[in-house]
Amino acid sequence: MMELLDPIVLTQFAVGGILAGALYALLACGLNLVFGVMKVINLAHAELMLLGSFLTWLLFTTFEIHPLVALPFIMVVLFFFGYGLQRVLIERIVGTTELSSLMVTYGLAIIMMNLGLLIFSSDFKAVPALQGAWFLWDEIIISIPRGVAGIVALLVTLSVYLFLEKARIGKAIRAVAEHADVALICGIDVVKIRMITFGLSAAMAGAAGVMLSMIYSFSPETGPDFILKCFAIIIIGGMGNFAGAFFGGLLLGVVEAFTAGFISTQWAEGVAYMLLVIILLVRPTGLRGKAHA
Amino acid sequence: MSGNNSKLLKIRALDVSYGSVQVLFGIDLDVTPGEIVSIIGPNGAGKSTVIKAVIGIAPAQRGSIHFKGREITRQPAHEIPALGIGYVPQGRIVFAEMTVTENLEMGAFLLKDGKRVRDAVDRVFSEFPRLHERRKQNAGRLSGGEQQMLAIGRALMLDPELVILDEPSLGLSPKYVDIIFEKLMGLKEQGRTLLMVEQNAARALSVSDHAYALELGKNRFSDTGQALLNNTDVRKMYLGGA
Repeated sequence: MMELLDPIVLTQFAVGGILAGALYALLACGLNLVFGVMKVINLAHAELMLLGSFLTWLLFTTFEIHPLVALPFIMVVLFFFGYGLQRVLIERIVGTTELSSLMVTYGLAIIMMNLGLLIFSSDFKAVPALQGAWFLWDEIIISIPRGVAGIVALLVTLSVYLFLEKARIGKAIRAVAEHADVALICGIDVVKIRMITFGLSAAMAGAAGVMLSMIYSFSPETGPDFILKCFAIIIIGGMGNFAGAFFGGLLLGVVEAFTAGFISTQWAEGVAYMLLVIILLVRPTGLRGKAHA
Repeated sequence: MSGNNSKLLKIRALDVSYGSVQVLFGIDLDVTPGEIVSIIGPNGAGKSTVIKAVIGIAPAQRGSIHFKGREITRQPAHEIPALGIGYVPQGRIVFAEMTVTENLEMGAFLLKDGKRVRDAVDRVFSEFPRLHERRKQNAGRLSGGEQQMLAIGRALMLDPELVILDEPSLGLSPKYVDIIFEKLMGLKEQGRTLLMVEQNAARALSVSDHAYALELGKNRFSDTGQALLNNTDVRKMYLGGA
């Protein structure tokens, strides 16, 4: 036990946790963006991520395209996939009950998962494009795939955040999230903004999928673990709050890393839900959530 | 020229229903350029529904709405601002988690040229210096009166000919009611045309060139503001006796 309290070991856990948490943050921010703008909980979000993973795997195994080269291309493909999905399917359930949005997106998740099984079988795939490790101060070891995945995830999340804060369309997305009817009378085409929002969310999921493919093995059935954790993260961070989902994701990554280090990796898998219960007991609206009137 | 063509806004025989509940029955209404026109009436008379039909967020079943001679009945709401109509929603709804400046920018969403947006923001700031002082704050932190100024400023961003206001004085302190009505007079002096729904009927009539009193979704009285103010029936029905 004593050697676990060594500052180097603790730093190792923290760095590993933040890098893993960055991937959660990217995924959860995308999920929360859609929830914030249209009050739809997209249970197919992890399947969109896996679509990104399988595209990466196809491009890597067929054409030897490096995942980092494929990343922008895959994000564009996922953007238009999400844009179209909003247009033909999700737009119909905006403004209806949360139950119908859960049913429709759960159905979508099942369809995507089974199409994945049909095309790719249930065998696990991996994209071993990066290898090796970095050594920080000669003592802290960071696997290069995990380091790159974490940094790219942070950069993508930060770029989307800046887009929402500074860009004309990004501000319109925030306006629609707050008051769609007032945004409408400002001349904002709310339906189009929702398509862009879902596209953006899908592109973020796709980017997470590219990163996932480099660090984990995955199959069409990998989705549920991730969507449940993301769901926990956005509740922990505050529903609809971008920064909340970001810090919630990082927090979960760090807590999982410490749990795995101090207790066991089995416990780490369940810690998201324990964290959820604790935070909801202390702050029922999540870390950054507001009380509902 | 016929009188009809000189109208900025012309509503004829307008019916509006929400589901199976009909709210408006054959409403007629004219707005002449440069005037302040008010719609008064008790709760449930359908006042707000008239202006919501104009800006495309309430469904017009029958009848017509013309703006500057062009039919805009059932025009999608997001296409209305480009025509020259600004709208101030009831309850001074602002984007609470966006800054004052960002709220104004949303009012000029249709302008893609950042320079023109900044010019419009500066123009509104010069009209509402208080908003300039608080430009970096989130709109949710403003007082009720300041939020109403912001909602009006946002509606002015595209320099509209017609400004439509839904209950501009509702829920404001007496001091801000005075300030807001002063602002509305100021807008008229700039040559803008105003159409407003107002529960403070006496106050609204006193500034209106023309006014319409509705009852249960139908036209009941229409005349100059002063004439309605002096009409004994109107006083009894809409101004609480006296």
